[in-house]
Amino acid sequence: MWQSIIDEAPRFFGYYNLIFIGEALLHTLALSFVGAFVGFACGVVLAVLRHERLFALPPFNWLAIAYVEVFRRIPFLVKLMCAFFAYQLLGFKVTMFVVAVTTVILSAAAFSAEIARAGLESVHRNQWDAAEAMNFTPLQTLLLVIMPQAWRVVLPPSFSYTIGFIKSTSIASQIGVLELTYAAKVLNTKGFSAFLCFGTILVLYFLICYPTKLLGEHLERRLAPARRR
Amino acid sequence: MHYTLQFGQVTGYFPYLLGGAWLSLQLGALSFLIGMAIGLVNATALTFGNRLVRAPVHAFVIFFLNTPLLVQIFFIFFALPEVGIVLNPYEAVLIGMSLNAGAYLTEIQRAGFQSIRRAEIEAAETLGFNLFQLVWYVILPHICKVLFPPLSNQFIIQLMTTSIAAIFGVEELTGRTYNINAQTFRSLEIFSITAGVYVVLTMIASAMLFVIGRKLFRVTAKVF
Repeated sequence: MWQSIIDEAPRFFGYYNLIFIGEALLHTLALSFVGAFVGFACGVVLAVLRHERLFALPPFNWLAIAYVEVFRRIPFLVKLMCAFFAYQLLGFKVTMFVVAVTTVILSAAAFSAEIARAGLESVHRNQWDAAEAMNFTPLQTLLLVIMPQAWRVVLPPSFSYTIGFIKSTSIASQIGVLELTYAAKVLNTKGFSAFLCFGTILVLYFLICYPTKLLGEHLERRLAPARRR
Repeated sequence: MHYTLQFGQVTGYFPYLLGGAWLSLQLGALSFLIGMAIGLVNATALTFGNRLVRAPVHAFVIFFLNTPLLVQIFFIFFALPEVGIVLNPYEAVLIGMSLNAGAYLTEIQRAGFQSIRRAEIEAAETLGFNLFQLVWYVILPHICKVLFPPLSNQFIIQLMTTSIAAIFGVEELTGRTYNINAQTFRSLEIFSITAGVYVVLTMIASAMLFVIGRKLFRVTAKVF
């Protein structure tokens, strides 16, 4: 069995296959990092909307809480299918890539909202009181007082969640987005050994995720929250 | 937009869908329990083993934490037959999910092990406990309280992850949704109902775990 894999390897790692896998790799990276960044921005907005000392306008904070609670509890695959059929129903002609990005953003927003909320709550309430005593508007409080202190709490866990989103993008292969998992399936269908196809893809995913995880751990040590109030 | 949502056509399938939810629950619970066993062995090895034991366990954990579950199961399902191990979809999904959960639960349980005080272990060693007795009688009762919230979260995540089994044709909640979709073509309706079922299912599980944690271990943390 090993012999057949070794015999097949030069053909598998041929020029066109490498181009194909490289393109798939770029799509996976674009999908996960665009999704994670935009989703993170949306998540911060959600966390601000539901925070009781910032913009606690009744319909919006309830909606933000409902969104977070509901979208964290739907599996990625089901969310993907819902987004897929919802785009169809609304009559937009979009590529599968856009559907997948939308799904990553939807789930990243829900998960990041929780991280951002933990970050906002990590700032001591005296800081909020002080900002209020100095007659800061909520926006000024957020931008000048809270965020400079909260970001060190928020950043490290958001890296480990990003790994989760990278791994979730493998499910996007189900609607035919050309990303790593889909590439592996296509190559496997072309007759290459499954051991080689899926093994290569596993290694590639590992090479994306593991450095991200190490970076997150490094930041966590560097940014260990200062013990001050 | 020439499409009207018609939930009436799919509501008849609701009992069939709930049967799928029951299978999801079984798959989630079973893989979680096997993962717990794997994690317990691994965490014990990481905490008490020498370097020769720790290295492969560490490699296992790092590998499974940093690759997608879907591709892991693809590998188990399609690549293992090349070495003569043929599995049916349910077995492949169960093995993949158990190994994946095992890696996460190793990390969680190792963190729990580290929360033990050195003096407690020394006391047990003085009493002549062997490794099994040390783990079973001293460490486990102590870390139940510390570990309950992250383990509950992991269980909820495991419950949602079972939807991946649908890709391999296991007829759990999402798999049955695919079937109903193929029969009725009321796609958005049935998938949104399934999403709702997942939300309700995990909310019930969260609430139950919260009550259990409160009653048994006096945990006050929120579950998922």
